[in-house]
Amino acid sequence: MNEALTLDGVAKRFSGHTAVDDLSLAVPPGTIYGILGPNGAGKSTTLRMVMNIIARDAGRISLLGADPAADPKILRRVGFLPEERGVYRKMKVTDVIVFFAELKGVDRRKARADAGGWLERIELGDWRDAKVETLSKGMQQKVQFIATVIHDPDLLILDEPQSGLDPVNQEVLRDTMLAARDRGKTVIFSTHNMEQAEQLCESVCIIAQGRKILDGRVRDVKRENVGNRWQLEFDPATEAARSFVARETRFGAFTPHGEGWRLEMEPAADPRELLRALAGLDATVVRFGREQNSLHEIFIDRVGGNVTPNRRPEVAHG
Amino acid sequence: MDEVMAVFRREFLERVRSKAFLLGTILFPVFIAAITILPARMGSGGGTRHLVVVDQAPAGVGQAVVQLLTAPQPAGTDDDDRVTFTAERVAQPLAQVKAGLIGRVQRKEIDGYLYLPPDVVQTSKAEYRARNVANFAVLSAVQRAATQAVQAARLQAAGLDGARVAALVKRVEVGTGRITEKGEEGGSAFSTFFLGYIAGFLVYLMILLYGMNVLRSVLEEKTNKIAEVIVSSMKASHLMLGKILGVGAVALLQVAIWVGMIGFTGSRSGSLTARFGLPPGALDVVHVPLGTVLAVLAFFVLGFFLYAAMYAALGAAVNSEQEAQQFQMVVMMPLIIPMVMVGRIVSDPLGPVATVLGLIPFTAPVTMAMRVSSVPVPAAQVVGSLVLLAATVLAVAWVAGKIYRVGILSTGKKPTLRELGQWLRMA
Repeated sequence: MNEALTLDGVAKRFSGHTAVDDLSLAVPPGTIYGILGPNGAGKSTTLRMVMNIIARDAGRISLLGADPAADPKILRRVGFLPEERGVYRKMKVTDVIVFFAELKGVDRRKARADAGGWLERIELGDWRDAKVETLSKGMQQKVQFIATVIHDPDLLILDEPQSGLDPVNQEVLRDTMLAARDRGKTVIFSTHNMEQAEQLCESVCIIAQGRKILDGRVRDVKRENVGNRWQLEFDPATEAARSFVARETRFGAFTPHGEGWRLEMEPAADPRELLRALAGLDATVVRFGREQNSLHEIFIDRVGGNVTPNRRPEVAHG
Repeated sequence: MDEVMAVFRREFLERVRSKAFLLGTILFPVFIAAITILPARMGSGGGTRHLVVVDQAPAGVGQAVVQLLTAPQPAGTDDDDRVTFTAERVAQPLAQVKAGLIGRVQRKEIDGYLYLPPDVVQTSKAEYRARNVANFAVLSAVQRAATQAVQAARLQAAGLDGARVAALVKRVEVGTGRITEKGEEGGSAFSTFFLGYIAGFLVYLMILLYGMNVLRSVLEEKTNKIAEVIVSSMKASHLMLGKILGVGAVALLQVAIWVGMIGFTGSRSGSLTARFGLPPGALDVVHVPLGTVLAVLAFFVLGFFLYAAMYAALGAAVNSEQEAQQFQMVVMMPLIIPMVMVGRIVSDPLGPVATVLGLIPFTAPVTMAMRVSSVPVPAAQVVGSLVLLAATVLAVAWVAGKIYRVGILSTGKKPTLRELGQWLRMA
């Protein structure tokens, strides 16, 4: 199946610093894809290059099968929500949505009808003729979100979509993203919130300081980054068990954790060795297993001390 | 081009539907009418003055003054500040009545008194005391009456006939009228000046007002990051084009409404003149030949494009209205020059200053509007100026488009001149 988006060796330099460096990734169609990274990692710059808002310095981009720089019309099939939000404050809610639909080539009458449906669905029906500036910030964000999806795009690109949303609206956004995926659309969003990405995404790409750290399906990423942290629990924790944990240093240091202990196993140590030793103890082992790393832990592991934001004013040298 | 149309529609409809447009469209003609009609109607110091003439002069002089002051003035004078008088004559010495007169002035029963001393015929000196002695029309009427009365007394003493001498030394009144391609036309020097001034002022005002509109619109899209979304759907240059055309169409609509109003006024000038108590011919100013209207419109449209492109680039280069204000003066300066020189241009529309300012593209729109509505400017000059202006519009739009394209997507501090240069090379 053709990928919804592929990047191949894409790079962007701003005067004096590299915002995105040799980035390659592939987004499978019909999935939710997360671009993860700390602030200033180059997430927005990447998305802006994909949207042909700024020109890339190197690399290839294929968006729904076309290069957006050579064939901008392809962007009509994309809905884009920029990181910093804003809509025309003096316009009426419906007019704003219809305007953005028109820019994407949607017939005005159809857009007006669709806008009404969307506004009803997210409980803004009573505000359709209100001026945007009379709406609360959260409501304005909802309006902008409708403006992003009003032309029923095949691909949604959302830059930090959750920022500034209250929990209720985060839920609305989440449902909309899932619903879009269920209808076969592709959703790409950037975030620095790993937990959220882990819940929503099938695949992710983690970048830091403009470079890709890792990418792939969340399941695979987690399998490949299991780490070497083990959990051990006895029931009951007998004297023999306690003295074993206190005495045994061949495998690494045990630290109390919950009902039992946690072990950062030495890379050279053999877990089978440990299991054999445990078998000889006068104690019942109820739990012995390797911990699953969360994306967050994988991220911290892999990026480590390099997370210092490296953000500079970005001048879009288009 | 669908997107350009969408942008055009948005810019046009949002403005035309606004209350500001409605108010501006109605209020501006009201304002112009007010500054035209009200002074004519009220006069700056017109009205009736009540005077007392304290007459110690030789027999007949006082009566003559009263008579001259209160005589009905000939109709049809061009004087907006027409003053009429009522006057009463007292013959007691000033010392006896002075306190009483001052009291009456203070109680506003009378406006002032004129003292004709016993030796007024020899010394030519009289005294006028009033609450307000700065009103030129009143003062000159009082002076004229006293002078004529005293002169008549002197002439009589010399054995001459006052009326005959007055007829012999009667002032010559020079009437004015314009000569155009169609031959001689009516219209006073005042109305010619007025038309040139109004046309220039209108072009200046509309370019400035709607240029600012373009700037604000660009700035809104830039600061709200709407520009990012739009530019991912269409070319930046198309966005700029749609925006300028949309705002320009609003300006043209407004002007069209006003031209319609003027046309209506012109067709009813007779009845309107009578209705508002204006001197006949006061509305001749609105009989503007079609050619002139078209020429002014052409200069306005091209001038608007020129300045709108510059305002669009300015709006894209800065990050807030405050920042824009610092640079606005630079953009506005050439527009203001003809307004500062309006006296020179309108009084000598074919002179060197008017001709040169009319050829420089940045000052041409306002200058040419003033010139073509004042006199028949040689066709070669009009066409030459239009061609130069059109070429400049293309060149400026090209540069502005580049700045605009980079500017609307840039964030952070405002660019230095050097960075602007980089933008130009980059875009």
